[in-house]
Amino acid sequence: MMESAKWIVVSDELEVRLRHIARTVARTPFTRRTGQELLFLVVGSALAAAGLAFVLFTMAAGVVLIVTFLGLAIIGLSLRGARRIGNVQRHMARVLLDERIEEPGLFAPRPGFLGWIQSALRDRTAWRSVAYLALKVLLAFLGILTAFSVWFDAVSCLVTPWGGGEQPAVFGLPRVFLPARLLSPEIGGFHRVAVFIIGVVLVFVAPWPTRVVVTVDRLLMRALLGPDAVSIRVRSLEHARAQTVDASAATLRRIERDLHDGTQAQLVALAMRLGMVKEKLADPDHLDLDQVVELVNDAHRGAKEAIVELRDLARGIHPPALDVGLEGALSTLAARSTVPTDLTVALGDRPTPAIESIAYFCVAELLANVAQHARASRASIRCTQHGGWLRLVVRDDGTGGAQLSDLGSSSSGLSGLRDRVHAVDGRIEIVSPVQGPTVVTVDLPLHA
Amino acid sequence: MAGPIRVVIAEDSAILRDGLVQLLVDRDFVVADAVGDADALRRSVDENAPDVAIVDIRMPPTFTDEGLRAALDLRRLHKGLGILMFSQYVETRYAAELLADDASGIGYLLKDRVADVSEFVEALSRVASGGTALDPEVITQLLGASRRTGSISVLTARERDVLSLMAEGRSNAAIAGAFEISEGTVEKHVTNIFTKFDLPESQSDHRRVLAVLRFLDS
Repeated sequence: MMESAKWIVVSDELEVRLRHIARTVARTPFTRRTGQELLFLVVGSALAAAGLAFVLFTMAAGVVLIVTFLGLAIIGLSLRGARRIGNVQRHMARVLLDERIEEPGLFAPRPGFLGWIQSALRDRTAWRSVAYLALKVLLAFLGILTAFSVWFDAVSCLVTPWGGGEQPAVFGLPRVFLPARLLSPEIGGFHRVAVFIIGVVLVFVAPWPTRVVVTVDRLLMRALLGPDAVSIRVRSLEHARAQTVDASAATLRRIERDLHDGTQAQLVALAMRLGMVKEKLADPDHLDLDQVVELVNDAHRGAKEAIVELRDLARGIHPPALDVGLEGALSTLAARSTVPTDLTVALGDRPTPAIESIAYFCVAELLANVAQHARASRASIRCTQHGGWLRLVVRDDGTGGAQLSDLGSSSSGLSGLRDRVHAVDGRIEIVSPVQGPTVVTVDLPLHA
Repeated sequence: MAGPIRVVIAEDSAILRDGLVQLLVDRDFVVADAVGDADALRRSVDENAPDVAIVDIRMPPTFTDEGLRAALDLRRLHKGLGILMFSQYVETRYAAELLADDASGIGYLLKDRVADVSEFVEALSRVASGGTALDPEVITQLLGASRRTGSISVLTARERDVLSLMAEGRSNAAIAGAFEISEGTVEKHVTNIFTKFDLPESQSDHRRVLAVLRFLDS
């Protein structure tokens, strides 16, 4: 009983699936996507053939003329053309296939005619376009034989019975699979009907080889017409560098502000009080000793405050504890934290100073956040080594709800922290469900 | 000037503000008000009508030049109000803007100058009574700037020195004391400066200001 019920269920599932396949096959020839892919196959192939012909011809001309130096300029122009054709291909892929390929970097020639030639000859994007054109022409040739031929033969089979001739013109893939006898008028009788039915079948088969060829083309375009791995890397490095420059400019501004509002003001007030004392002492006849003592007390207090402010500021620029090593510096941080904090450090190798500094400021910032926002009763810091990476895990048992997006907009300490981490290709991850606990994981390369 | 000088202080650092109040009260000034930002300064001057305002250039909210902006507005609204700009840096552009049409009743001092209490108090009194008090640092920068543009080059080295002290607002006697020369010699230098700058004969006090402005303009 159970067995048969199961079998029925399976067959139901199978039925649903078969229905779905049948529906897909029935509809596909008439979808917009199929039309666009066919158009891309035809127009793209023609464009690639013309483009490759242009490139090969101009390159050949350039090579012939290379002794006259004009040759190099012609090859340069040829490469500029290749780049343009690549752009057109990419544009067409976006319009017809909805395939969005990222733009490679713009052509940025050096100044002067020689600079232009040099830049044009070294333009990786252009050479990759040439490579694409060469492969694409090969693909177009195969595509005509496998994908386009099915469409052509389908139309031929559909039209021939109605007066287009005795035997349909059939080439390419269908030619290989269809026995020639089937299409021959010698089979007599139902010949015309048979050819027509073959045409109808081919219409429903035709979209699929086209789709395969276009998919291969998509892969080629992604690999050769987008930015290459090197330029993607350069872009991300440029971005990281800009962030680092901004962050250090912001740091300098903060330090200037702290000095201006804090220490400098303290020292001016101190000098002013000492000036008053000096002038009072210079006039012994009208000396009010109590007043002088009060001024000296104020000056003394101001000097001590200025010393404390300077020390805090200096520690914010470079914590002296780091000179001993990360472990010692982190244990100072853990001890100073208002939330009781456990510390585990297990590092085999000593990171470079820049990494130690970033790790230190990450922990300092995260502990400050724990103290300010998390309402936690305990926190822990784990600092471990995984191959060439240093992993910091700062955990607290507070209220949670911190989000990585919190790091985004503001110029808070946390976003500065993220910039610092990204600047050395590090990663930062925050897991902080409402109710807590919050776990922040920072991975940094040991050497940067 | 009858009675004690009435002062309004605008300085965002509480430490310095309190220190200034203490110092000025000690020297028998009347501190009508001490505020921490430019808007409060505008209101306070309207209310208290002081003889002179001590204005920090950098104040909240942007910490750039709101003190200077407020000072320029106050100059337009309150004729005869002395303004002593008070800053930790000298910015030539600020000084030029401040002195653009009239140098009387204007001062621009580095904050360090309060350490020499008597000189500071003297400068403040001078500004309150319509005089000029420019920090030697301001003068050096302005002279540097005008030396580059050339008009100051018609003066001899000694005439430039005399002009610097004139710009600080010193009298001929004070200038003579500073260079240990006779007042008559100073008089001669001053006349030469007026002649070289082509300044009219009348109102010799006003001419001193014009002479200063002439090289500030250049």
